[in-house]
Formats: sequence, C-alpha cells, structure tokens
Amino acid sequence: MTLVAAQIVNGLAIGMLYAVMALGLSIIKGLLNVPNFAHGALFAVGAYVCYTLSTIGAPFAVALLGAFAASAIVGLLIERLGIANLAGSSYLLQVLFLFGTALVIEQSLVLIYGTTGVSLVPPALLSGAANLGFMFLPRYLMFCALVGALAIVAVWLLIEKTKIGSRIRAGIERREMVQCLGIDIGMLLTLGFALGAGMAGLAGGIALPLLGANATSGNDMMAIAFVVLVLGGLGSLYGAVVAGILIGVAQSLATLVAPAASTLLIYVIMTAVLLVGSKGLFGER
Amino acid sequence: MAEPAVLLEAVDLTKRFGKNTVVDGVSLKFAEGRLHTILGPNGAGKTTLFNLLTKDYPVDGGEILLRGERVTRLRPDQISRRGVGRSYQITSVLRERTFFENVWLAAYRAERGGTVGLWRDIRAYRTTAEKSRQVLAEFGLQPFSDRKAADVSYGDQRLLEIAVTLATAPQVLLLDEPTSGLSQRESERVKQFILSIKGKFTIVMIEHKMNVVMDISDDVTVMNRGKVIASGSPQHVAADAAVRSAYFGL
Amino acid sequence: MASINKNLLALAAVVLVAVAAPLVMPISIANEIIVIAIFAMATNLVIGVAGLYSFGQAMFFGAGAYLAGYSLTAGGLGLVPSMLIAIAGGAALAGIIGALIIRRTGFYFMMLTFAFNQMAFYVVLVWSGVTGGEDGMAGIKRPAIAGFNLDDRGTFYAVCAVLFVASYIVLRQIKNSPLGLVLEAAKENPRRTTSLGYSVPAAQLTAFMIAGAFAGLAGALYVLLYRFVPIDAISWVMSGNVVFMVVIGGTSSMFGPIMGAAVFVWLQGLFSLLWAQWALLFGLFIIFVVFTLRGGLIELFERLARLRRVREASHG
Repeated sequence: MTLVAAQIVNGLAIGMLYAVMALGLSIIKGLLNVPNFAHGALFAVGAYVCYTLSTIGAPFAVALLGAFAASAIVGLLIERLGIANLAGSSYLLQVLFLFGTALVIEQSLVLIYGTTGVSLVPPALLSGAANLGFMFLPRYLMFCALVGALAIVAVWLLIEKTKIGSRIRAGIERREMVQCLGIDIGMLLTLGFALGAGMAGLAGGIALPLLGANATSGNDMMAIAFVVLVLGGLGSLYGAVVAGILIGVAQSLATLVAPAASTLLIYVIMTAVLLVGSKGLFGER
Repeated sequence: MAEPAVLLEAVDLTKRFGKNTVVDGVSLKFAEGRLHTILGPNGAGKTTLFNLLTKDYPVDGGEILLRGERVTRLRPDQISRRGVGRSYQITSVLRERTFFENVWLAAYRAERGGTVGLWRDIRAYRTTAEKSRQVLAEFGLQPFSDRKAADVSYGDQRLLEIAVTLATAPQVLLLDEPTSGLSQRESERVKQFILSIKGKFTIVMIEHKMNVVMDISDDVTVMNRGKVIASGSPQHVAADAAVRSAYFGL
Repeated sequence: MASINKNLLALAAVVLVAVAAPLVMPISIANEIIVIAIFAMATNLVIGVAGLYSFGQAMFFGAGAYLAGYSLTAGGLGLVPSMLIAIAGGAALAGIIGALIIRRTGFYFMMLTFAFNQMAFYVVLVWSGVTGGEDGMAGIKRPAIAGFNLDDRGTFYAVCAVLFVASYIVLRQIKNSPLGLVLEAAKENPRRTTSLGYSVPAAQLTAFMIAGAFAGLAGALYVLLYRFVPIDAISWVMSGNVVFMVVIGGTSSMFGPIMGAAVFVWLQGLFSLLWAQWALLFGLFIIFVVFTLRGGLIELFERLARLRRVREASHG
C-alpha cells in the first residue's frame, strides 16, 4: 500500500515535469503551428546550465531560473534567426530546421560536457525524506511537483491575466484578428517560442537531480511530451497539464508491475486513446 | 403530365455552429431533370445546405434522401459516387495540376467507381483521356489542357470547376454560384451552358443575383436566416410578399 | 510520347547510378547508398507525393531490419523468405499504425508518427532477449542464393542494385499512376478530392503501406550489408535523416531522393572521418541546406540547366 502511495507521489512529480514540457510545446504549437523538434535539446540545455550554475556555487533556485533563461534565450534565437525567416516556405523546412538545430545543440553540449552525462545532488534542504507517518516522502519529489505546479500557474497567470498574455492567447486563437489590431505578430511569436523553450529548460533543470542528464536525454522527454500533447488534445492549452500528470502517475504505477515496460505503457495509453477515436482528452481535433 | 420523380430530398435538415442554427429545418424536394435555384441573401444558409447535402459537414438533424434512399450517414465520397456532383463557390480546382489532370481525375472516378489503379501511367488510360479531352472541348478549354490551373485566368478556372463537376458524370448537379466573380460576358457563357444541359441533369443552383435565374429556372426556393421562406415557380416566388421583404428589403 | 521518353531517360540515369557508383567510390559506400536510396524513395511516396509528413518511417525500416535479422539467425530461414517477411512486416506495421492515424492531419500526424517511432524503439530496447537491446542484433550471415555467394562484395552489390532499380521502377510507376495523382490531389485539396468521389484515407493508407513495404525491404538489405542491426536503425533520428534526404534531393521526382541518399551517406562518411562530433557538422549542414536550397538538389540542377539553356539561346 505504501509502495503504491510512494509511486503515486513519484508519478505526480514526474507527471508535473511532463506537463511543464508539454505546456511549452503546446504554446509553441499554438502560436507557430510547428512541432518543436528541438524541445528535447532545449531540455538538455536547461539541465546542463542548472548543473554548471550549481557547481559554481549558485543557489539551486538561481540555477533553475538560469536554466529557464538560458533555454528561453536559445529559443528566442531559434525563432528569430530561423523559424521567422522560414515563415513563408514549406512547413517541412521549418521542421527540418528544428531537427538540424536539435543536432547542433546536442552535439555542442557533448563538446562542452563530454559524453558521460552529469548528475547533481539536490541541495541539503531538499534532500532526504519527510516522514508522513505511513511512508517516507522524498523531499525532492515534493519540490519537483511544487515547482512544476508553480511554473504552470505562473504561465496561466501570464497568459490569462496580463496584456502580453492575452495577446499570446489571441495569437493562438485568432491570428488574423491580432494582425488587424496592429500588434507586432513577429515579436509575439518570438516571445511565445522563447517562453515555450524556457519551460523545456526549466523542466530540464528540475529533472537534473532526479534523473541526471546527458545531451540526448531530452529526446525521451520530448517524445513523451508529444504524446501528452496528443492526449491532452491539441485544441486545449491546459489539457496537456492534466494529461501530463495522468501519464506520470500511470507510468510510475506501472513500474511496480513491469519496470522495464513502464515507458512503453505511455505509448500503449496513447494508442488506446486513438483507438477509441477520441480527439484527446480535452481537444477539439 | 405526371409529376417528375424526386431525385434528391432534404427532410427537416438542420445544422448548428455553436449557438447559431445556420440551416434550420429545411425540407426541399429536387425533382428529376429540373433546374432548381436557391436564392437568398448572404448568410442565408445556402452554401451550408449544399455542404450538408454532400456531407462535407455532418448533419445535426433531419435526413437526406437520394432516390428515396436514406443517405444521411454516408461519407462525402460515397455521396459523390452515388451521383451527386458539386461545384464550389470558391474555386476549388487543383491549382497545382493541369486542366487535363483536373478533368481526368473526375472522369476516371466516373469510369472506375472509385477504385484506383497503381501501375499504369495516367496517360495510358485511353478512354479516360479521350473523355477528358471531350469535356474540356465542350467548355472551350482544350487550349489549356497542359497548363497548370493556377496559371490561367479566374474565369477559365471557374469554367474548369464546372467542367470537373460534370466529368464526374453526376445525376444531380449542385452548382454553388457558378457565375460569381465572372465578367458579364463569362457569366453569359456559363448561363448559356447551363441552359444547354438543362433537362439532361437535375440541377440545383445557388445564386444571389435574382435576374440571372428567374428566366431560366423551373423552380425557385428562397432562403433567409437558415429557413425556407418561399418555394415554387419563379412567378409564384417573385410575387411572394415574404420574399420581397426579406430579399429586396421592400 | 514525350513523357515516355522522359521516363526512359530517368531510368537510364538510375541504372547509370547503380552501375557507376561502385566504380567511383568504395563499394561498401556505394552499397549503402543504393540501400538507403530505396528507403528514401519509399519515404518520398509518403512525404513528397502524398504530403503526409511522417517522422516515423524508421520504424518500418527498423522493423524490416529486425525481422530479417531474426529470420536469418534464430529463425534459421533462407534469404528470400527472410526478405519477404521483412517486406510484409513493414507493410503490415504501416497498415496497423496507418489505420490508427491516417485521418489525422499536419501537426497531429507528424507527432503521432514520431511517438509511434519512439514506441517501436522502446519495444526493441525492452525486448533485448530477442533484439539485443541497446547492443543491437549481431551474428547475421548472408546465405547463399541460387549458387551465388553473397559474401562476395560484388555479387551482393549486384543483387542490391537489381532490387534498387526495380524499386525505382515500381515507385515511379506508382507516382505516375492514378493513385499518385489522387494522392497529389489530396495533398493539395483533400476536400475537393473527396467530393470527386475518392476515399482519401484509403488512398493515403495504401501509399503508407507501400512505403512501409519498401522501407522493410531497405531495412533487410541494410542488415545483410552490415551483418548487424544497430538500434539506431529504428531510432527517430533515422526517421529525421530520411526526411532530410528526401528534402535535400527534392520531392518532385523519385530521382531526387536517390541523390539525397547519396549526398547523405557520402557526407556522413566524410564528416565521421573528420570528427567524432560529426553530427554537429551534419546539423549545421541541414540548417545550411534549409536556408539555401529550398527546392532540393533537383532544383539546383534544374536551375543550372535553365541557366545553360538561356546561355545557349543567347549564343544563338
């Protein structure tokens, strides 16, 4: 029983990471309508920046902010220098550009940090476990879920409650109208991409003490985030959050039964949802 | 004289978009061999009615009958194969394909009933090619046979649109504003063409220029805000008070 | 008539590629090029002709590779049955996955193909007792066939070359067939194609399965070539690579992907000799190509040809 409870908590934490990743993808998809194949690389950038900042003595909170900022800046450059210049050309070229960019980022990380990968011990405050009476709850998992939730709430506040957010939202829902209002749509797309990329970086930073990192570890995350996005429904910005948590918990519980196949379960769930013919849990299409 | 048989029938057909009921309980009968025109101001639901009849949109309520058989649940390609051909108001010819290929695709489907070969080159299908050239010639479009549709004038694309629809060998022809965007002269050409095929097909045509249709139509239906407000002979409809207030704002 | 001549000319060019390649480069590289070219042509049927942006074609290539590898080793089957199993397996897998996702469009389709590719990767990874997991599947031998010793590099190349030319002919026929035209029509305007009376999903699924079959064939030949299945054969990077080959070669004809595959295999060889981080150079190359050669290499050649024609015309 406690094992199940522990796995649920574990799943919530991992699921929150999926949700943060997928929400980033969802924003980028909504604004630019491209699947960001560099999302995994941006996740890795976040992880490594978090690692570097921590090793030079920065507080963990600063390291996490740095992870977000670094990936956001990389994302900003990707959009400004790349996607924006390909806007008029084939969709496939934009996707290939992201594919090439992902390779360049990953290999650059290998050049800088080597192939072995890195890991990080969480700060003392977040190490160890809290005694809940019936089980021990690793503090870092709680932190992970909490920061993920905070990040999601922050994005929600940004999009729903601020002026720039309402423009991003309008850009997702009715692009023509935004253009009519004379808003600089190019700037909006750049900021949106940077925000989405930043979330991938943040997820990478949070995941570092949990999962470690190497240059290509983001790709598994990205694939899962794609699945989460499909399950959440593409029409819905926040469906990804619920789907992410559900997937995290399901995967975590599956490790009790078949540890090796737990990642596979994610894809089985996806296939099942497709078979039922659903349009995702919350989406329109 | 015996009443002509009803070929296509809408029974209480309804379509909603969110809270708006765009087609609201429309019941109409389209009789064999007649030219039936649907009139109405913009937003009356005419094109949506077509989209329901061809199943481009799913139906929210009511039934569609084709020769008395219920076809409401069929897919759009199945409806097409049962002999309902349709031209679009916004030209939807394949712009990247040649005139020949556009018509060929339609003629090939008419000939094969929807099965698709995967080996022989399309030019090797002699009878289909012959038929395609013949249809192009009927519309005076043979000079453009090997030109990409995107490369010719809008008027000729409109004509191609109708030619393609005709090449599917339909029994019912749904023409959505066939003269929209055409010059006076081109409009006249289309009108003459419609007159020339009148009687050979069951034609349902959407128009909003009343003068274009009154003298050539057998039946006229007027729609407004998703509903049929009058239906009958052109003279009868023209005299209808409801039509005059809705349509002419009198 | 003119189009038939053009077809013959293109066929002659493909045969020339198959014959000349081992003369101008190491035969192993030439062999990899013609094997990967089959994969690229198959992918072009999906991406270029049908306009279905699949980022999961490696799962069919990989399925063919593993099925052939397994049939030849644990299965103890001969060459022909193993290859037939690989082809049928690629087609069947494409049929199952295609049936699930073919109605999804654009972005959705792309993500789902990617996700299924990743799923296939995990199946291979987890099922290591059969597939060898991360280490790949080793110990594959080339059985002799009809008295030919396939361990001879020249003989094996000849077999691959025949299959390569045959694949080209079949895929080009399909591209120019009614199915090809229906696919191109559906790519441009699915609604109009449907209203003409064609079932667009059925046509697309057919193309997806044909591409799966040829990807399976390419996978089987790849396995025979290296006597080994690396797990990379089924990874999403392989899917991305083949899309890249198709795009750099150009999607407008089946000859484009052949050139794309040639450039890819050759560059990969070159870059990997230069530097362990060759993938970095490769990524930069992709970005470079995306920004400079939007119509693929085919367009480059066409532009050069046009330039020459203009020059010849001006010289009178």
